[in-house]
Amino acid sequence: MDLWRQLTYGLRRLTHRAQHDRDVAEEVEQYFEEATAAWVARGLSAEDARRAARLEAGSATVAREQVSSYGWENLARSFAGDVRFAARQLWKHPAFTLTATLTLALGIGANTAIFTVVQSVLLAPLPYQNADRLAVLDTHWTNSGHTTPRVTGPDAADVREQARSLEAVSLYYGGNLSVELRDHSAYTVVTLADANFWRVFEVRPMAGRLFTDADAHGAAVVSEQFARDNFGSAQAALGQVLHVEGEPLEIKGVLPAGFDFPGKTQVWEARALREPALDHRTAFNYKAVGLIRSGFSLKATQAELDGLSQRLQTAYPDENRNKQLIAQPLQQALTGDARPTLLLLWATVGFILLIACVNVTHLQLVRSMERQREIAIRKALGSSRGQVMQPVILESLQVSLIGGAAGVLFAFPAVRVLVAMAPKELPRANEIHLNGGVLVFTLALAVLTALVSSMLPALRAAKVDPAEALKYDISRGMSRHGASRLRDGLVVAEVAATFVLAVGAGLLLHTMMTLMARDLGYETRQLLVVDADAPAHSEEDAHRAVQQFNELFGRLASVPGVAGVAGIMGLPTGLYGSNGYYTVTGAGPVNVNHSPYADFSVASPGYFETMGIPMKRGRDFNAGDTFESAFVAVISESVAKQSFGNADPVGKQIRCGLDSDKWMTVVGVVGDVRQDSPAEKPGPTLYMPMTQHPYYANQIHIVLRTDVKPLTLLNTVQEAIARVNPSIATRYTTMDAMVNQSIAVERFRAALISSFAGVGLLLAMLGVYGTMAYSVAQRTFEIGMRMAFGAEKGAILGAVLGHAAKLACGGIATGVVLSLTLARLVTGMLVGVRPMDPVSLGLAGLLLLLTALAAALAPGWKATHVDPMVALRAE
Amino acid sequence: MLTFFSMSDENTDVIQGTLDMLILKTLSLEPMHGFGIARRVEQVSRGVFKMNPGSLLTALQRLERAGWLDAEWRQTENSRRAKFYKLTRSGKKQLESETADWTRRAAAIARLLKAEG
Repeated sequence: MDLWRQLTYGLRRLTHRAQHDRDVAEEVEQYFEEATAAWVARGLSAEDARRAARLEAGSATVAREQVSSYGWENLARSFAGDVRFAARQLWKHPAFTLTATLTLALGIGANTAIFTVVQSVLLAPLPYQNADRLAVLDTHWTNSGHTTPRVTGPDAADVREQARSLEAVSLYYGGNLSVELRDHSAYTVVTLADANFWRVFEVRPMAGRLFTDADAHGAAVVSEQFARDNFGSAQAALGQVLHVEGEPLEIKGVLPAGFDFPGKTQVWEARALREPALDHRTAFNYKAVGLIRSGFSLKATQAELDGLSQRLQTAYPDENRNKQLIAQPLQQALTGDARPTLLLLWATVGFILLIACVNVTHLQLVRSMERQREIAIRKALGSSRGQVMQPVILESLQVSLIGGAAGVLFAFPAVRVLVAMAPKELPRANEIHLNGGVLVFTLALAVLTALVSSMLPALRAAKVDPAEALKYDISRGMSRHGASRLRDGLVVAEVAATFVLAVGAGLLLHTMMTLMARDLGYETRQLLVVDADAPAHSEEDAHRAVQQFNELFGRLASVPGVAGVAGIMGLPTGLYGSNGYYTVTGAGPVNVNHSPYADFSVASPGYFETMGIPMKRGRDFNAGDTFESAFVAVISESVAKQSFGNADPVGKQIRCGLDSDKWMTVVGVVGDVRQDSPAEKPGPTLYMPMTQHPYYANQIHIVLRTDVKPLTLLNTVQEAIARVNPSIATRYTTMDAMVNQSIAVERFRAALISSFAGVGLLLAMLGVYGTMAYSVAQRTFEIGMRMAFGAEKGAILGAVLGHAAKLACGGIATGVVLSLTLARLVTGMLVGVRPMDPVSLGLAGLLLLLTALAAALAPGWKATHVDPMVALRAE
Repeated sequence: MLTFFSMSDENTDVIQGTLDMLILKTLSLEPMHGFGIARRVEQVSRGVFKMNPGSLLTALQRLERAGWLDAEWRQTENSRRAKFYKLTRSGKKQLESETADWTRRAAAIARLLKAEG
């Protein structure tokens, strides 16, 4: 087959239709002339010859039609005609078109926006070289099932030396640290990493070089943005010196924009492969990331780690008891926490789209019932099933595509709002953008939507029996039972889906309310928090810093409006903190498999009073607790209970691995706090005085209980700090803001799901309204008849509302069953609320019932105003 | 008239699948217009095959698009404008392969029928 000819002939024919038709007509005409002439030549008269030719060759018109209908372009043309017809129909029914398009735009837009986030965060590969071969190492305890995303230096060193499937393993740690430049200091995300970091990530610097094994200390690499912000350009940054925690670092290289692993790092500080100070098999000071050798799988690495963990357990029975090293893909490690939330959102918008589809199906059904007569006539004239279904599907396809296009337009700003709203824990937020993959997804979604929402109406159209349909007259109130049952079913489905959304929103909102109303173990209001970082890189520096802080606390206490002031490393929801195992002397329930575990905090005297943490027994720290005096500790009630039972802990000895092996005497017991967020349980905390642990007391939060609005004291406090030591880096916030921030994920979830539930509710309302309005309009004749026979207005309104209520109840009942099955999926996101929370279920049910009744009110009202005379006469 | 009806009692349909071959063969002698082809096929087959203009002209379009025929409008001998079809080089090749195929199959059928007798 000559494809080129096929194409050009067909196109020429589409563009020069009249010419082609003339040619065909002439060719056929010429054929018949010749045929006639041949009969004349055989001796027939002109008249007989013409008849003979027609008898032999058939009708010229039929021949012309047959010849003209050859070619693909005819199909294209008839399809284009159908498309145009559908478009005209849509244009002629603007109310239907607008409602359906907007509904779908909403549904498809929400899906596009959420899928953009899902695709960019969960599905797209990480923007690193060899992204699929990057893995992080975690430590897992086989006895407790607990996993920490950290490793100890010696364990990781063994992995580095023995795991053949790992090409390189890098250890790193770090966080928000104070970075001093020539004229100022600022909090910056600093990562301290060994030179293997670059073997794992294979980044190329845009200027200068990366640090190597030879640059054990004193070298740094910075991000392009950091270089630009502080030195003007990447080139200008090379050779410059900055101080991290007082240690001078020379900038050796600048990394291109786009690389900021881990967690928006701006400065990477060189560390030696092994740092003896942090070397202990029970000190989980490091995170580890490795590059799997090409040709090896994660499974192979895990197998090696299993063997190695076994050997280490044998070699170090105390330190490595039950300890198991685990490799996890980096992508999973980075995005794992966001996964449930994003999947929940995805499922939610899926429900929205489902509701939107049901609405459009319903609108289409109403439309196709109005044109049953048209369809019946078409069928009576011989249209096939396909020919009757095609216009319905084409109309739906057009609505979906327009809706999809509008949805994409809507998704652009929606994605931006989403990213802006998202808690800062959302990984890869800067990589989120609409792309080709998302557009393909949206297109597929639009087509799918069209097919789903037009399936029922199209099938119904195909089933129309012309003889039956022409007998029925909708305006006479003679509708067929199946039709209204189907529409009722759709409303029930819609209400059920919306109910599920409403229950989800209810559960998450209830969780939020629980969290916000929770007793945290301390008082959050009127509390100014200063992140203070005093540079210290020697023992003397650390001691001096603590002295300066103590002096500062004295000065700040005398500032008018300040009711109390204290310093703390390990503030609840704060930046810093430590935790680990501890041991005690004396009696108490001891679990042999499980050393007791606690959060470690380092505090100044007055901390408990300032925070409003109740002192249950004994005393607070005081000026008498110095580095030289006997070491003391204050424990929280959970520590007392888990280690001393009912015995009085005051006077008992306790020891932890924070920074010294010295035994500490318990001098007091305080209440528990919820450490990381209100979602946590109140847990065990071990408090130690700043003076006795100066290494952990130069990066602290200063808390000030105020009588005035906390932030109004900002300038006064800053001046006081600068007077004591201008090189202390500071940052201000309030305890309320920090606690709020700590439940940002929960708030994000609750806010989004609630808005989606709101959208669902709106759509469901539209659906109920549409059904009721339609059935009232359809039954005008019947209602008029009833009123003519003396029916009360109340009874008629009651009938309409009763119908709506019945549908709503059906939907709610279905929704309850659905919720029962689905609620388990969100259990992990709920705090203080059971998945089957009767309050949420009840409220959701009530809300939907009221919505349905509200939506039915207008049609019901209209029904009571039917004028019997007009209704009966109308035709 | 009577002769006409008696003729139409016999099957004069072109054997399915051979229409293209008949057209190509007919045009391999000289360019012709639609009726010319129909008449020639009827004459040579002695009235066994008759062509219906709708099918014939549609087939001509198809063969033209397939690149086996070229067409042009020309005057007939009685100075009537008509569309003349001409075999192309690839049309010739197509005719050869169809002829070979047909011969092979016809011979096979003939053998089968003989064997039965």
